[in-house]
Amino acid sequence: MVIMAIIVSVLAGVSVVFGRIFNSKMAEKMGLFQGALINYIAGLLVSILLTLVMREYLVFSHEQFMGIPLWAYFGGILGIGIVVLSSYLTHKVSAFYLTLLIFLGQLATGVLIDYFVSGEIPFGKSVGGVLVIAGFLYNLKIDNEENQSEELKNAA
Amino acid sequence: MNKLSSGFVGGLIAIMILFNGTLSNAIGNYQSTVIVHLVGLIGIIMILIVGKSKIRFFKSVPLYAYSAGVIGVLPILFNNISFAVLGVSITLALGLLGQSLTSLVVDHYGLFNMTVVKFNKRKLVGLTIIIIGILIMTIY
Repeated sequence: MVIMAIIVSVLAGVSVVFGRIFNSKMAEKMGLFQGALINYIAGLLVSILLTLVMREYLVFSHEQFMGIPLWAYFGGILGIGIVVLSSYLTHKVSAFYLTLLIFLGQLATGVLIDYFVSGEIPFGKSVGGVLVIAGFLYNLKIDNEENQSEELKNAA
Repeated sequence: MNKLSSGFVGGLIAIMILFNGTLSNAIGNYQSTVIVHLVGLIGIIMILIVGKSKIRFFKSVPLYAYSAGVIGVLPILFNNISFAVLGVSITLALGLLGQSLTSLVVDHYGLFNMTVVKFNKRKLVGLTIIIIGILIMTIY
């Protein structure tokens, strides 16, 4: 069970990257927002299917919706921005750097949200985050050196 | 600028997770994804109408690309399975591992017609520091 959970977690990451690339393929050919439209239609159908398979039944009772703050409904709208922007960026930034930069942005915002909610800055997340940034900057430096040496070669 | 925008996407994702998580706690994991996609679909249709955009289906779109929306729902299912067994942090760390490895392979071989970015062995140093950072985040 644990091994299966590990495999499935890694696969979740694999599907995030594939989904991003496939969205950008659609966007490239039919436009950023048209691509997102197909993305949402397919996503809606699969969500309905999953709900039925997982026996959550799609019965929305009135009580369930009591006390849900209005802002909680706007995740789908934010999702449009995410799909459109990352479709655009997929061809501008290498897949690995895009993964890393998105993660860093997510981490920084997550730490901020934690801070506003609990008034504390999570220690592990902050220290770990600084290390991730350090490793990222180091590799970025190697990239720049590579580019420069290529330019020198081209110039000579 | 592109790098900054990439970080901004991450920020949007963090806020979206907060929104969707709140909804999911109230009405269930899968029912909430239905609402999230429904709201998103209505939003995108409105954007297309306001922008007077035409929808064209080109044959040149590779067939597999249409599955992006299907694939987009998979992480929700996969994470739900794993959260129960491994807990939230380890699941997310493993997911990030999966994303990183997949991206490196895609870059190195230029899969799906992406620009080839060969893996430089010197980058292993940076990669190790990144992995240590993620481990610290997961353990604390």
